[in-house]
Amino acid sequence: MYQIYGVVALLVIGYGFGQLAERRHLKSLIAREREANALPAIASRFPATDRAYRQQLVGGSVVIASDYFKTFVSGLINLFGGRVTPFESLIDRARREALLRMKAEAQELGAGYVFNVKYETSRIGAGRVPAMEVLAYGTALIADEPVALRATNA
Amino acid sequence: MVDYENRQPAEGINVTAGHPLRRFAILSASAALLVVLLVLATQFAGALLGRFVPFSAEQRVMRSLDIEFGDAPVDDPVRHYLNELAERLAPGLDLPAGMEVTIHYDSGDTFNAFATLGGNLLFYRGLLERMPNENALAMVVAHEMAHVIHRDPAAGLGGGVASALVLAALTGNAGTAGASDALSRAGLLTGMQFTRRMERRADRAASGAVAALYGHLNGAATLFELIQAERAPSRRPGWLERFSTTHPLDADRIEAITALAEEMGVPLHGAATPIPPQVSAALSRTP
Amino acid sequence: MLLSNLEVLPEQTIVRHLGLVQGSSVRSKHVGRDLGAMFKNLVGGELKGYTELLQDSREEATGRLVEQARSLGADAVLNVRYSTSSIAAGAAEIFVYGTAVTLAPR
Repeated sequence: MYQIYGVVALLVIGYGFGQLAERRHLKSLIAREREANALPAIASRFPATDRAYRQQLVGGSVVIASDYFKTFVSGLINLFGGRVTPFESLIDRARREALLRMKAEAQELGAGYVFNVKYETSRIGAGRVPAMEVLAYGTALIADEPVALRATNA
Repeated sequence: MVDYENRQPAEGINVTAGHPLRRFAILSASAALLVVLLVLATQFAGALLGRFVPFSAEQRVMRSLDIEFGDAPVDDPVRHYLNELAERLAPGLDLPAGMEVTIHYDSGDTFNAFATLGGNLLFYRGLLERMPNENALAMVVAHEMAHVIHRDPAAGLGGGVASALVLAALTGNAGTAGASDALSRAGLLTGMQFTRRMERRADRAASGAVAALYGHLNGAATLFELIQAERAPSRRPGWLERFSTTHPLDADRIEAITALAEEMGVPLHGAATPIPPQVSAALSRTP
Repeated sequence: MLLSNLEVLPEQTIVRHLGLVQGSSVRSKHVGRDLGAMFKNLVGGELKGYTELLQDSREEATGRLVEQARSLGADAVLNVRYSTSSIAAGAAEIFVYGTAVTLAPR
C-alpha cells in the first residue's frame, strides 16, 4: 500500500523538476539559436566555392536523460500505442542542443559555414531510465580572411 | 551564386501540443481500468474452471504427489481429537457425500492453519494452543472445512494462475519499470477481493456449523478477537488497508459475526466448552 | 513542396539555402501488435504490424519536415536523409532532415 505513495512522490518530483528543466532549456535554445543563425549549417555536400576555404570536421553532442514522470508515461503508452509525446520534446531539445554545440565549435574556429551536417541519435545507458545521445557533425569552412557573418533573420 | 542563410523555423512543429498531465491522467485511468477488468474476468473464469474440476481429481492429484503435511503420526491425540471435531461439525456444514477431509497436525509454533487441494487441512500447534476453549477451536476447523466444501483451493489456484498469466503478458509490455510495477500491483490488489470474498463465505458457513453444534457463537467472536490481539499492537490498519489484504480486516470480521448472530437469532456469547485435558497437555508440551 | 535526396536538381537552380529543417516522430507499439510479433517469432516472416507502425511514423515525420520548410518559405527540401533509432523498449523514432531551398528554373 505504501509503495503507491512512493511512486506518486517520485512522479510528482519527476514532473516538477522535469518540466522546470525543460522550460529553461527551451528558452536558452531559442535565444542561442537566434544568434547562431548567423552561421549557416547546410545539409548539402557541395561546399561553397566563392573563395579558398580550409575545412575542418566539427561536431557537437549531448546526452539528455528522461525523468521519472516521462518514463512512467511512456511505459503506459506502450500498452495502447500512439505517439510517445514525452520523448518528442526530449529528443527535439537534444538535437537542437547538439547542433548549437557544433556551431559553437565552428564559430571558435572562425568558420563561415558548416556543410554536410549529419545527425546520429542513439539510446544510452542500460536499464530503465532512457537517455538519448545526439551527435551533430559537419565540415566547417574557414576562410583565410575572416568572413563577415551575415545579419541574422530572427 | 548561391546564397546561404539560416532562418529560424516555427517553434513546436516536432512536439505535440497538449498538457502532459492531461495525457498522464487519461492513460493512467485507462490502464487501471484495463487491468481491473482483465483481472476480474480472468479470476472469475479461472475460478469457474477450478471448481469445474471434480473433487475426486483433486484427491487423485494430491495422493500421487504424496506431500508430507505436518509431523504428527496418525495416532497422535491432537489429530484424533481434531478428526472427531470435524465429524461433529460435518452435519452443520452440509459436507457433501463423496467429499472427505484429511486433517494434518504440525507441532510447529506458526500461528496459522490452512486448507489446500484434495481436502487436506493443516493445523499448527502455534494456533491451536492459543485457543482458550473448544468453541474457538471448532470455529477454526469449521472455517477450513468450509473452504474445502466451497472448492476454494481449486478456485483460488485456477483464478490465480489465469490472472497471473494475463498480468505477466500485460505488464511485460508496459516497457519501463515504473509503469509495469504499478500495473502489476493494481492487478494484485484487484485479485485480493476474490480471496476476501472466499474468507467471508467461509466465516459465514463456519459460524452456522458452530452455532448448530453449541447453540451460540462464542467461539467465532473469541477467535477473531484473538487473531486481532496476535497482530502487532502498534499496527492499526488504516481505512484503505481493507482493500490490500487477503483476509477481511479483523474488526470487519468481528462486526460480521455480531450481525450474523442477530440474523440467525443465536446468542453471540454462551457457555464455553473446555478442551479435553489430555489434548491441552499435548498442545502445551514443547517438543 | 518538392522533396528530394539529390543535392542538385536537373531542371532547377538553387537560389538560396534557407537552413536545416527536420521532422521527427516517436511512436510506440501496443499490446496487440506485440503479441502478434511474438507469434511471428515462431514462424518468421514480415512483421506487418510493425511495418505499418513505422510507415505511419515515417509519414508523420515527413509531414513535419514539410511544415518546417513551409514556415521558412521554401520551395523544396533537398538532401533528405532518414534515420531510425530505438528510444525505449517498444518505441522507435523516425527522424528526417534536409536543407530547405528556394528554386528558380534553369
